[in-house]
Amino acid sequence: MKKFQLGEFEEVVMLTVGILYENAYGVSIKKEIETRLDRKVSVGALQSALRRLEDKEYLRSHDSDATPERAGRPKRFYKITALGKEAMEHSKETRNALWDSIPEVALDVKFAKA
Amino acid sequence: MSHNPPKIFLKFFRWFCHPRLKKPIEGDLMELYEERVKIDGKRKADLGFIKDVLLLFRPSIIKPADGTYRINNYGMLKNYFKVGIRNTLKYKMFSFINVFGLAVAMSVCMLIILMLADQQSSDQFHEKRDRIYRVLGKPFKGSVPYATTAYPTTNELKKEYPLFDQVVSLRFGVGGEVTFNQKNAEVRGFFTDNSFFDVFSFSLVEGNKTTALSKARTIVLTKEKAYQLFNTENPIGKHVQFTNKGLSILNPDSETDPVDWGLYTVVGVIDNENLKSHLTFDVLVSSSSLATLHEANLIDDLTQNWDMTTDSYGYVVLKEGISQRKLDHSLVDFAERKYADNEDLPEYTYFSQSITRITPGIVVSNEIKFRLPERAYWVLSFMAVIIMIMACVNYVNLSVARSLSRTREIGVRKVNGATRKNLVYQFLTESVITVMFSLFMAVFILSIIKEGFMNLWVIEHLDFNLNLSGPLYLLFFFFALVVGVLAGIYPALIISRREPVSALKSDASISSGKFGLQKVLNVSQFVVSLLFIVTSIVIYKQFKHYTAFEYGFDAKNVVNIPLQNNDYELLAHEFNTVGGVMKVSACEYVPATGTESSVDFVHPKTEEEHKELLFLSCNEQFLPNLELKMVAGKGLPAKGSGELDRYVVINEAATVKLGFANPQESIGEFFLDKSRKNMVEIIGVVENFRASLLIGGDEIRPLVLQNREESFKYLNVKISDVNPMETISNLEEKWETIGSGRTFEYDFYEDQLATTHKAVFDVASVIGYISFLAILISCLGLLGMAIYNTERRTKEIGIRKVLGAAEIKIVLGLSRGFLKLLIISIVIAAPLSYLFNTLWLNNFPNRVDFGIGSIILGSAVLLTLGLITIGSQTIRASRKNPVESLKYE
Repeated sequence: MKKFQLGEFEEVVMLTVGILYENAYGVSIKKEIETRLDRKVSVGALQSALRRLEDKEYLRSHDSDATPERAGRPKRFYKITALGKEAMEHSKETRNALWDSIPEVALDVKFAKA
Repeated sequence: MSHNPPKIFLKFFRWFCHPRLKKPIEGDLMELYEERVKIDGKRKADLGFIKDVLLLFRPSIIKPADGTYRINNYGMLKNYFKVGIRNTLKYKMFSFINVFGLAVAMSVCMLIILMLADQQSSDQFHEKRDRIYRVLGKPFKGSVPYATTAYPTTNELKKEYPLFDQVVSLRFGVGGEVTFNQKNAEVRGFFTDNSFFDVFSFSLVEGNKTTALSKARTIVLTKEKAYQLFNTENPIGKHVQFTNKGLSILNPDSETDPVDWGLYTVVGVIDNENLKSHLTFDVLVSSSSLATLHEANLIDDLTQNWDMTTDSYGYVVLKEGISQRKLDHSLVDFAERKYADNEDLPEYTYFSQSITRITPGIVVSNEIKFRLPERAYWVLSFMAVIIMIMACVNYVNLSVARSLSRTREIGVRKVNGATRKNLVYQFLTESVITVMFSLFMAVFILSIIKEGFMNLWVIEHLDFNLNLSGPLYLLFFFFALVVGVLAGIYPALIISRREPVSALKSDASISSGKFGLQKVLNVSQFVVSLLFIVTSIVIYKQFKHYTAFEYGFDAKNVVNIPLQNNDYELLAHEFNTVGGVMKVSACEYVPATGTESSVDFVHPKTEEEHKELLFLSCNEQFLPNLELKMVAGKGLPAKGSGELDRYVVINEAATVKLGFANPQESIGEFFLDKSRKNMVEIIGVVENFRASLLIGGDEIRPLVLQNREESFKYLNVKISDVNPMETISNLEEKWETIGSGRTFEYDFYEDQLATTHKAVFDVASVIGYISFLAILISCLGLLGMAIYNTERRTKEIGIRKVLGAAEIKIVLGLSRGFLKLLIISIVIAAPLSYLFNTLWLNNFPNRVDFGIGSIILGSAVLLTLGLITIGSQTIRASRKNPVESLKYE
């Protein structure tokens, strides 16, 4: 049984939400990922990832008051929950552990190319 | 805000998006759109928006398929269900009345559904069933159609019209005994050829379908008969001896002297045990065998005979895409060409009948298998529907009445925002719950009435298979659902119409005078009940009348024994030696049980012809045996006293018919027997007695008796009162000593006479049962209304008692309304039932007097049951201690 389940894109979203801290909502997360990782993110992909993370209770959200530049629609801000933090740490640790277990020679580019 | 994203996509997004996410995501979309407009211009921004919207169209964003709307609805349904169950349990008496009434009615409907389903399943196994038609013949305009047609019909049709894939004809005439290694089997069947297997889908368990019956002198047996002859041996290729005895499929009593038809080779075994078909047979003989039989003069050659239209069945398989109309059209044309010049049958015409429409189907003569005509099912269904409507009426009545005490609930629901639709759903849910309870009960009741129904004499002859199966249960479930909705829709509409304000106000303003419709419904229920009761009484009286009918002869202690081709003299002699036997006589058929034959007399001088005189051949002992007295002259001559067929005895009715002033005058007169072409002398006149069926006609028909020993088929043994069963077993022992190899059969004459009217009794019992149900349901409805009314008036009763009203006065006061209903029903139903019953009785031979007695009896039954029903409630209410009733809230 996997204790935490976090996909690659989901992890990126989680990290970005962390980076943006108080200002993590749909458009800002999208832009942050696009600029930092230089990849296109569609609203659909992002929203469905956010939905999944909320369902897993890694993120929670609250709506702001309506703002005029958004035609009277509220912004939905996201925050990392304690469980979300644990999941991110777990993910990071397992990565690190894996990194640590790779024998140095395996990453020797000369051998790899041969 | 001058820029707007493409409207249609925004709408699309709003439509599919989960409502919880709609606003923030729409916000994001708008923000991005505005930005893009600034940077890339409107066109690109629009495209970007569209792309975003389309990419959002994914499962996690789309609202659930059942929608949030459904979620709420489900909650409400749960509530309706809960309230429905609670209501059912809270008012146990009402629920019971509803459930029980509906269950009883449903069980009857289900029985009819079972019967229809069974009938519909007939002949469904033929692969080409959509294209198989039976050719029917109609001898003249307005006549009943005949299932049989002239033998060459189908073959000729195939030659002349390009409509058919295959045709087959089944010719009567196979009926006798098949013998193999001293084992016998009695068989009846048809002459037919190999195309039989192309048309019908009877499969062969042994033998080859493509070649079977194509050669002369070949025979196909059913599995049952093959087992009788060969046990487990393979019968293919074996030669069996066929002895024709003239046994017929249509007439179980026909039998002629055995004639040897030679050897036949078994080429196939058909397994038709589990196939429901209108075709019944034990054997099929190849029609090419007919040629040798024609030569030997053993059977008539019908290959070119268009006049004999009662000896063969014709079936055709139409080519794909050819309609029945086209077939019928060609058949009419064909008949015109074949029969227009025919002297005897100038109006003869053909038409077709789809094989799936044979059972159940229209009434046709010469049908192979006895079955109820379509009309019988209509009548039964009609009665079942009436009962069902009555039960639904009960439900409607009680629900509407009871809704008065639920006005508060309705008011509160409405105030809380329930629409009329919601309330309709609620009450429909309740009715469906009630009906589902009924369904369980109905299945239980069905299993009971099914037994009784299957034991009816008529039904036993129809070999119904009324087993329940999966699809039928499903059908019943849907049936119940439909009933639930039908019963519930009216109350639901009425109840939900109420204004919330008036609904919330005290219901004191609703007076009992508002039951106009209910009264009408109650009255109509009782009218129908009374009609049923009176009708069943009349039919039962008719049955009693028949069983107690004075036939004019004494059938008491007379046992009729079929001779089964044994020598009658030998047997009569042997039987006379058995103790307890008083007299033995012999005759051709048992009079007044359905069989009869006739003779035409011609006066030798005036040449006046008297047609269709009843004819019975019997020996000299017959008349004394049945205690029939001679009015004039002497009885039939005994054997050995000259030429027996020169003398006849006639009955009194015949003397009148033949034109004699009194019996004495006819003695010594001569007549010409037209069919036998000999002169006969009347030597005696016997008193009138019934020799034909009671149901056949009112009058005693003219009868001619003659001692013709070659036609005797029965012995009539009169035995003494003492130990009749012992005498019969002694007779059976004697029968065994004669050693014919046939089993001893016997019937008491009295029983035989009674069974001839079994059908009348069955009709009486079916209608009696239906009327029992009708009155049961009506009384249940009355009971419900009485309970409700007395409950509502509890306080009034209390006050009346406190003020000193006597119990009897209160009972009368409470019952008055209902009594009035009963009286009105009787006043309406009495003349109706009189009219209805005299209508059918007038066309009924040997009828009973209708008599006002039946109506009075029926009304008394109705009144008594009605009064008991009402009384049970009103008396209880009037006895109640006023202290309690005044406290009642």
